[in-house]
Amino acid sequence: MSPLAFVAALFATSVVAGGAGAVLGLGGGILLIPILTLFFGVDLHYAMGASIVSVIATSSGAAAAYLRTSLSNVRIGLFLALATVSGALVGAALAGVVPARVLQLLLGLALAYSTVTTLRQLRVELPEPGGADPLALRFGLEGTYFDAALDRDVKYRASRVALGFGAMAGAGMLSGLLGIGSGAFKVLAMDHFMRLPMKVSTATSNFMIGITSAASAGIYFARGDIHPLLAAPVAVGVLVGAAAGTRLMARLRNSTIRKAFLPVLGWLAVSMILRGLGIGLP
Amino acid sequence: MSAPTSVERLIARLLLLGGLLSVGLVLSGLIVYAVQGHPEAREIVRVVHNREAGRAVDVFTSLGDVRRALAQRPPDPLAVTALGLVCLLATPVLGVAAASLAFWRAGDRDYAAIASIVLGMLLLSFALAAGG
Repeated sequence: MSPLAFVAALFATSVVAGGAGAVLGLGGGILLIPILTLFFGVDLHYAMGASIVSVIATSSGAAAAYLRTSLSNVRIGLFLALATVSGALVGAALAGVVPARVLQLLLGLALAYSTVTTLRQLRVELPEPGGADPLALRFGLEGTYFDAALDRDVKYRASRVALGFGAMAGAGMLSGLLGIGSGAFKVLAMDHFMRLPMKVSTATSNFMIGITSAASAGIYFARGDIHPLLAAPVAVGVLVGAAAGTRLMARLRNSTIRKAFLPVLGWLAVSMILRGLGIGLP
Repeated sequence: MSAPTSVERLIARLLLLGGLLSVGLVLSGLIVYAVQGHPEAREIVRVVHNREAGRAVDVFTSLGDVRRALAQRPPDPLAVTALGLVCLLATPVLGVAAASLAFWRAGDRDYAAIASIVLGMLLLSFALAAGG
């Protein structure tokens, strides 16, 4: 492949990863790492370094737009970041002590269960309002956004906050332990446990993934995994894609986003279970 | 229609500016590097294939490396790109710091404290990473 074709293909892939990440609340690593290593033959360490750049670029590009339209909820994001960042610190400290494969297997089974329950509520547009959760009332975990697809304001308040906080701490711990991004787990905890509208879940996840990834970005940089010739076109492509993704997401229905999210959840469940069983994946 | 609060507007503006500044630096460094005709630019497919080949290009591993390369005359164009990447990586941290200040100014002590704790944990993680 010629250098120009390589950079053009890399840029196009990054635009798609950024767009998908902005809509689904993911960093894009789940797409980017396999494509970079399998199709472009990039070294795995450089692919992971480019992926962390991609997560932060998606977060900055998407969250800037979502905050202006009140789709990202800063209070919910910061409150849950307490759990994810502290979980990531504990996970990093436990790396090498706790058997990662057992955790991967348990998490894979939990994700498989969540995939089935998400499948059951695939057509649900907005969650049923839950009871008044004392933590949600105390910390103001609520908000209103204008839903362009429904053409009306949507009010929401978080339910089962303690459960969501615990799931976030678990996701953060796993991310620190295994060095994986955890955007999908964040969306799942907000959509599934805290019963927030899907759009608020993915947009708030976009705000949060930048914060949690910043905690590990320094490590990748210091290790020399962020190669400027690879990370630069990825960063620019992802930012362009994320900006386009935010425009698309505003027009989509919550149920459509959940349908697009389901295969990601299923794939994560399968890959976690297989890795937990010691079956390697690319 | 729901309007964003002053805190949301401030963080949104900061993330946008951080993103734009990063893209500007990344692109200008990359374009100058390509125009200067470095052989590694033509060998990019091989350079990113493995770590040994990757070392043919300056891969910066500390802010000191970046600063020294920027101080050269003329500055190393890839150091400008690396500076853009560092700006990008620092943007979410600055967003949390700005949130802490903005909540404090808005009189929301709970969230000023929550944002400060998150910021403290991020800085702790950087210190742990730097310590090895």
